[in-house]
Amino acid sequence: MSNVNVFAVKTLTQKEYFSSGHRACQGCGETLAVRLVHKALGRDVVVASATGCMEIVSSPLPLTSWEMPWIHVAFENAAAVATGVEAGLKALMRKGKIPNKKIHVVGMAGDGGTADIGLQALSGALERGHDFIYVCYDNEAYMNTGIQRSSSTPYCAATTTSPAGSVKPGQTTWKKNMPAIAAAHNIPYVATACPSYPMDLVEKVKKAAETPGPAYVHILSVCPTGWGMPGEDIIKFGRLAVETGAFPLYEIENGRYRITVDVPELLPIETYLKPQRRFRHITPEMTEIIAERVAKEWELLKRRVEFSALD
Amino acid sequence: MVTITIDGKQIKTEEGQNVLQVALDNGINIPHLCYHENLSFYGGCRLCLVEVTKANRTRLTASCTYPALEGITVETNTENVKKARRLVMEMILPMAPDSPKLQALASELGITEPRFHYEDPDGCINCGLCVRACEELVSANAITLANRGDTRSIEPPFQEEPLACIGCAACLYVCPTDCIKMEEKGNERRIVRWERKLEMKTCANCKRHFMPLAQIEFAMHKVREPLDAGWFDNCPDCR
Repeated sequence: MSNVNVFAVKTLTQKEYFSSGHRACQGCGETLAVRLVHKALGRDVVVASATGCMEIVSSPLPLTSWEMPWIHVAFENAAAVATGVEAGLKALMRKGKIPNKKIHVVGMAGDGGTADIGLQALSGALERGHDFIYVCYDNEAYMNTGIQRSSSTPYCAATTTSPAGSVKPGQTTWKKNMPAIAAAHNIPYVATACPSYPMDLVEKVKKAAETPGPAYVHILSVCPTGWGMPGEDIIKFGRLAVETGAFPLYEIENGRYRITVDVPELLPIETYLKPQRRFRHITPEMTEIIAERVAKEWELLKRRVEFSALD
Repeated sequence: MVTITIDGKQIKTEEGQNVLQVALDNGINIPHLCYHENLSFYGGCRLCLVEVTKANRTRLTASCTYPALEGITVETNTENVKKARRLVMEMILPMAPDSPKLQALASELGITEPRFHYEDPDGCINCGLCVRACEELVSANAITLANRGDTRSIEPPFQEEPLACIGCAACLYVCPTDCIKMEEKGNERRIVRWERKLEMKTCANCKRHFMPLAQIEFAMHKVREPLDAGWFDNCPDCR
């Protein structure tokens, strides 16, 4: 909606459902996103979390940061467990064992748990039409195990398993378009968000929670450790990702596209790429290729928005 | 610490809270429209009615303004309560018939066709959340509740453009019926309901319109120590 809403943030709840004292790196964008998501969802939540950064940093035995029912499951079945929880709650409500009210069931995973390992469970859950929210916290590699590439790693990014050198430019494939895959299941709500735009993220999560049926929210979580940047700059890089068109913020409501944070003129992609360590090797030719692709995808997205406005 | 009983469940809670807060914190759902946890209590919508028994006397009262006192018993879902809530909802719903949130609440209470009607409803249910947000969160005091009885409404002073409005859009976020809308076109922001037009500051570097001029003036006035003159020349990204 708006670029700077200083006072609107004060309308959020003051309760913390993801408590401090966890072991995330300084400047972790993912914890910020988790905190905002759960501020938006409130207290009646059951979370099924896949393995990943967030599980490691938030639940070292015997401690936990989660002030809500939270289940840690394997990498591949966060969505399957979330749907099981949803079906279970539905059955308990039908039998009158628990009061009949809306309890949000959330499946959460990183980009590895969503785009690589957990994809079939997620696809199944979306296709079966369970009433749940799936949140993907995308930090664009397997950061927790030491920065290995995932299918969500962008082109040319250097990771430990896609190192940049004289032969290879780093990651040789493009970032997998997860929101498009989720939207292809014809689910009622798909959105992309970024904690640099907190009210936008909160509104989208609230909308996802209110939507009956499955909803998918893809959140870009800037990772200062894996991306190679100072921890205090994560908000800036989240905004740059949006303003350069590398990660446009939009939502798909019943097939209708809408850009939520409009960028009248995209910034040059170098401003986003160059200060990151994982992109420090890129040559002007590589930048050109990336810029072309980003511009093309932005144009395609705008076309889709226009097309949705037609009917 | 005080102990109260809500729907047969004994709950220990800190003193100074109201019944609605305690219920919501303990997973007992009471429908409400004019309550927001960051704002003061108002008791305007009357939808959060519950039956409170204190010293053998039972009465129907709004839970958002009733303090959680030692030993009280609260029933949130009796026939009496439901009947009262249905009546309240039948009066509120015609004021904002297009609001999906209200429609959902009404169908939950079992209302299909409200008995009352309201001439040209504009979506506002006079819950006063926007007034309290403007006063307590922002302290701009741009809008107020005017008139009494059935002519009561939320208005800017003298029904003119509210010059104290800084265009922060906090009222937009708290409104339960979404009847306050905002439009942004070029370097102009419009809060449609208050007919407030605001010019936006343009970033000297990236030429983006990032903040209303009135909000900048408001911020400059609020901070005790003067900011650098050039602080607001650039948007937060270009600083």
